[in-house]
Amino acid sequence: MSLFDKFQNTATLYNSLLEETGRDPFGVSMDEMKGPTRAMVKGKEIVLAGTNNYLGLTYDDAAIAAAKEALEQSGTGTTGSRFANGTYAGHRQLEEDLAAFLGYKHCMVFSTGYQANLGAIAALAQPPHDVILIDADCHACIYDGCQLSGAETIRFRHNDPTSLDKRLSRLGDDVKGKLVCFEGMYSMFGDVAPVKELVEVAHKHGAYALLDEAHSFGVFGDHGRGVCERDGVLDDVDFYTGTFSKSLASIGGFVASNHPELEFLRFSSRPYMFTASPSPANIAAASAALARLKADDSMRTALWDNAKRVHAAFTQLGFDLAAPMSPVIAVKLSGREEAFMAWNFLMEHGVYVNLAIPPGTPNATSILRLSVSAAHTNEDLDAIINAYTALSELLSEKAAHA
Amino acid sequence: MSSIQEDDDLVFRKICSLIEPLNDKGAKLTRDTDLIADLEIDSVAVLDVVMDIEDNYDISIPVNTISEMKTIGELVDAIHAIKKEQS
Repeated sequence: MSLFDKFQNTATLYNSLLEETGRDPFGVSMDEMKGPTRAMVKGKEIVLAGTNNYLGLTYDDAAIAAAKEALEQSGTGTTGSRFANGTYAGHRQLEEDLAAFLGYKHCMVFSTGYQANLGAIAALAQPPHDVILIDADCHACIYDGCQLSGAETIRFRHNDPTSLDKRLSRLGDDVKGKLVCFEGMYSMFGDVAPVKELVEVAHKHGAYALLDEAHSFGVFGDHGRGVCERDGVLDDVDFYTGTFSKSLASIGGFVASNHPELEFLRFSSRPYMFTASPSPANIAAASAALARLKADDSMRTALWDNAKRVHAAFTQLGFDLAAPMSPVIAVKLSGREEAFMAWNFLMEHGVYVNLAIPPGTPNATSILRLSVSAAHTNEDLDAIINAYTALSELLSEKAAHA
Repeated sequence: MSSIQEDDDLVFRKICSLIEPLNDKGAKLTRDTDLIADLEIDSVAVLDVVMDIEDNYDISIPVNTISEMKTIGELVDAIHAIKKEQS
């Protein structure tokens, strides 16, 4: 018995798929970036259609200028945690700006979105008397937050308020705190939660609602405040979590709330206290991107226009799509092998998307996840649609021969 | 005693019927069958089977408990314990 035996099954599967295509979908190196939607990979220019760059702000002039200035002014790194020497004026200012933008009283900035969920959940729910209820399709960081918390964790059926209601009704009288966790838009399929109904069910049972808008912040709602803005329940969410690494084109994460007790997390949340704070340049870039997001709706309009165009084209091509139209457009394939082959085919045709296979996907589905950006040009979209058209022809041919 | 055994058998059969669609290798299902090692069902699929069991028996089985269960027999025993506790 060795430490490594447990990896054997996955390694065998991985290697056999790798041998067939000669490319590693989980180890792609963007050798040289050419802009928000293009990169050089192995000497070839590729259209990036598997990112989370929803508003396309990674090369925004204002964000780059702000990051440069912060770098010159405040140095390359903080070398310490928020809890110690790692809180600069920029960190505080960004917390205030996010709280003001979302209309909450309090906000905490973490080093990544992963740590924001991890830190909030682990600190809020504690065994033996608190219970966490999570949507079955929640991101790994929510699952990991539950594990770090150690509190009893119960899954409810994905996007199903009735299933949540049943599970909350079953809880015994000895349960003290109840925390319900779910997301706005889910990252893999791009499907959107019935946020209003879930918040209502949680509150009916005296539970707190934690909503992760990582993929929907900047994307949904009239002002880009997320699915809860669209559904008119922004004020009812107890804990709003988000990230800087998607619409805000930087790295870092946050938790916002109207509960003054959020401030207690600053000295009880281990993923906040025991890691270095985001670098000044990351904070400055996120702040500048937030200002752009507030001032300019045209990026969101462009994003949705692009999403509509790609979704309509894929529907016409007859692809099996995982969810209704949104900026994440996932094509379902028959299994791991076909998904691997299709991913490789798209790379050969100059388009990078995300390959996602079980257990990283719900319902044992193998998908190609495409995410649209406001920065995609018509030329980019043409390249994407042409590559998928060729893929659809290949798949039909294969099906005819089978 | 006999009624417990009968119930035990019913729960066992219910679980087997939920697992059978995932039993690609056609392995014989017994109390000692290990879901992940013997049937190669991935961890998320195990959670989904448990979700069906929860709705079938109107009980909640915490994720924390599931991670400790390896075999069908352990799952059967856990359901009995939780049914008793939550009824």
